[in-house]
Amino acid sequence: MIGRLLKRLSIAEVLLALSVLVLVVVVAVPVFLIFWTALFVDGSMNIDDIVKILSEPDTYEALKNSIVIAAGVTVCSTILGVFFAWLVSRTDLPFKNTMKLLFLVPFMLPSFIGALAWKMLLSPYSGYINKFLMNTFDLADPPFDIFTLWGIIAVETMYLFPFVFIQVSGALERMDPTLEESARISGAGLLTITRRITLPLMLPSIGAGALLVALYSLAHFGVPAILGNEVGIYIIPTKIYEKLHQSAGSFTAIRTGTILASILVISAGLILWAQSAILKSGRFQVIAGKSMRPMLLKLRGLKYPLLLVSVIYLAVTVLLPTATIFLVGGLKTYGLELTMENMTLDNLKYILFEWQMTKDSIWNSFYLSLAAAFVTMLVGTLISYVIVKMKIRGKFILEFLGVLPFSVPGTVIALGVILTWSGKFGINIYNTAWIIFVAYIARYMAFSLKSNSAALEQVHDSLEEAARACGATHWQALKDIVIPLIKPGMVAAFFLIFLPALRELTTSVLLYGPTTRTIGVAIYTLNEDGETVYAATLASVALVIIVIGHFLIKRVTRTSNEGV
Amino acid sequence: MKKMLVVMIALLFALSLGAEAFAAEKLMVYTSMKESLIGKLRDAFKKKYPDIQFDYYSAGAGKLMAKIAAERQSGKMTVDVLWHSEVPDFYQLKKEGMFEKYVSPEAKHVKSTVKDPDGYFTPARLGTLGIVYNTKKITAPPATWQDLLDPRFKNGYGIANPALSGTSFMSVAMLVNNLGWDYIQNLKKNGARVGHGSGQVVDDTASGDLKAALGVDYIVIDKIVKGANLGFVYPKEMLVIPSPVAIMKGTPNLSAAKKFVDFLLSKEGQTIIAASGTLPIRSDVPVSTKYGLPSPDDAVKRAMKLDYLATMAQKESIIKKFDAVMRGK
Repeated sequence: MIGRLLKRLSIAEVLLALSVLVLVVVVAVPVFLIFWTALFVDGSMNIDDIVKILSEPDTYEALKNSIVIAAGVTVCSTILGVFFAWLVSRTDLPFKNTMKLLFLVPFMLPSFIGALAWKMLLSPYSGYINKFLMNTFDLADPPFDIFTLWGIIAVETMYLFPFVFIQVSGALERMDPTLEESARISGAGLLTITRRITLPLMLPSIGAGALLVALYSLAHFGVPAILGNEVGIYIIPTKIYEKLHQSAGSFTAIRTGTILASILVISAGLILWAQSAILKSGRFQVIAGKSMRPMLLKLRGLKYPLLLVSVIYLAVTVLLPTATIFLVGGLKTYGLELTMENMTLDNLKYILFEWQMTKDSIWNSFYLSLAAAFVTMLVGTLISYVIVKMKIRGKFILEFLGVLPFSVPGTVIALGVILTWSGKFGINIYNTAWIIFVAYIARYMAFSLKSNSAALEQVHDSLEEAARACGATHWQALKDIVIPLIKPGMVAAFFLIFLPALRELTTSVLLYGPTTRTIGVAIYTLNEDGETVYAATLASVALVIIVIGHFLIKRVTRTSNEGV
Repeated sequence: MKKMLVVMIALLFALSLGAEAFAAEKLMVYTSMKESLIGKLRDAFKKKYPDIQFDYYSAGAGKLMAKIAAERQSGKMTVDVLWHSEVPDFYQLKKEGMFEKYVSPEAKHVKSTVKDPDGYFTPARLGTLGIVYNTKKITAPPATWQDLLDPRFKNGYGIANPALSGTSFMSVAMLVNNLGWDYIQNLKKNGARVGHGSGQVVDDTASGDLKAALGVDYIVIDKIVKGANLGFVYPKEMLVIPSPVAIMKGTPNLSAAKKFVDFLLSKEGQTIIAASGTLPIRSDVPVSTKYGLPSPDDAVKRAMKLDYLATMAQKESIIKKFDAVMRGK
């Protein structure tokens, strides 16, 4: 029926209108309202006020911390990422293929759960590592304090460096080895080759990875909230959260929030612009196909020590926190020693079967991510189709709107959604699951667009044209030719959204109502309420769900790829 | 397969969002009581009134008030009944006309340091705060408030953030009122810290991050029962903080809300409250004295004095000053 209806209207126009509508309602209006609220008071522009708010000590401090943390995390992640990427792709490190996969595991661990674990390990007087060191070496003061800027930088780095790692190791492997070889033949030493050939060729990839880290760190809520709020270290997203939650939702609080949010959007836009500029400048580079085999550096005596360093690094950043979460989650109450007789399964039973709040949170996260992933995937397919395949006037609007989701951080989306959907335009879904659903669509649209347009670009226009030439309607051609071909891209988009949404915290923490906590929010608020043990128990449940999810993805994407 | 998925998701949504809409009577309580207390009350209340769909939102008083303010702005109220410990907030909301007048038939049994003569709110629990200490770090428990200025509590005493926790704000107001700002300044000199919520300072004490903290009765007792290395004492001048309950004006669930208030104040409800380690407001409900809880009469007698109406006006300035003193600004 829909098909017949579409046939009568011009399908192209309907699709365009629909795509524009979705992007405008879900993304553009909330962002516009943020800028509007930040700039205008009672209909007139008010710049003085903005300057005043930004120069208040606590806002100013938050801006400063944001920059320090983002810069620190970017530098540290780049160093780590480049080093490990070089190690697994350009040296004869043993078990390098396994190591390469293992270096991606930190991605799986939600960073706020990591922060929770490090809090348990490195709290000044109660952290297990600090206690151990103080007892062993008879120290009067704890050697580490995780509740500092450095603590936040270290924990974020642990879980963000794979951004750089993926970019750089990919580029290193695809690099044309003849360049280095000719330099070598001409008598250049290893240092000269690295400095004059390899590094310049790698710079765009390094830059792109580093900027991704900066973007992510700037907009990140979980780690600074868990490690910073308690001691008064705030960054932009946590300051927005604090303003909204403690200043009784007054207009000044919301306005401060929108001003900070505008700064986030502008910096994210700048970062993305810089990234595309860097990637464009790197286009000349000679990165060739897969058959190339770059020469490997022989590590000789350093082979096993370096392997050991990598393994220890992974053990400390992945295994240790995971084990801590599981162990603390099994404790009878916080503060007891980690011994067998202090362990119990009651916590697990309690949060899975008895406590309404935690049961709700698991269920909420599950259906919200499922629904958001499904809808966002479909809408993303539609929008990508219009952008990639259709020749129609007015497309540029869509292209512009399509870039928007990429540069809007989660905190900003949440704030924008509150402004849009709490009654101002006749619809009030504040405090319901719908508001989180709408926010998720906006937040994950970028993933869907990316994955779907990549798939669509591979489908040559001639296929669709052939179908049309044989008398198929536009709709039939779409249904029988295009959609089957891009199905893997759509499936990928679904999972690219479903898994991150399952562990989402940044957006939902600003939107949750009494019965709509997500898993992330539940863990966060449990920790905040001093239910450290239950927070850890729920976090271990979340980790198990995430690992199962990743396994399922692997299986599903493999079979759907084989199917085409 | 895709069609099935669509149907499934639609069903999921209908289930999760529709279930609430079709229930006969609903009730949403915003409270600062933790799961260990409100959870048991919910179970008993649901058993008694299976037709009422009862839900609660548990968070610190500061967060609750922020949520209510946001709801007032958006024009859509979710809260039906409010129950927390920051007494001045109740006077404030009453003044703003946010409460429904309701004098429960059970109210005549209530014994408390606070009473609203107009019947807009009724105390439903007498919270007490004492000093919770880590038994591994502190062997001789403190006996007076002044003991906390001892070098053995150096850099190890914590108070929950009064901006977040209602009980903490009330305690700070009472301490200042009775012992003066000098006392807070001396605590700071001894390295006392501001913690997060009233639950977190107890967990921080159990783990050893703090040596001692200002602890809320039932939160501490719940952890002691579970085997935490904690001790709990009350100095002679006690911090006794009533937690009033009130019905929001214009709630569509008025009869359910009244039932809940009656239940809370009834002998049955108060017995559950007493069993979770805090003080009931009725003298006909026995108090478990196992963990050093005094009787309600004794507590009211030992309680530090406070002018609640005056405190309402000073709320912001007290929080600001406390923050300035403790953060050394």
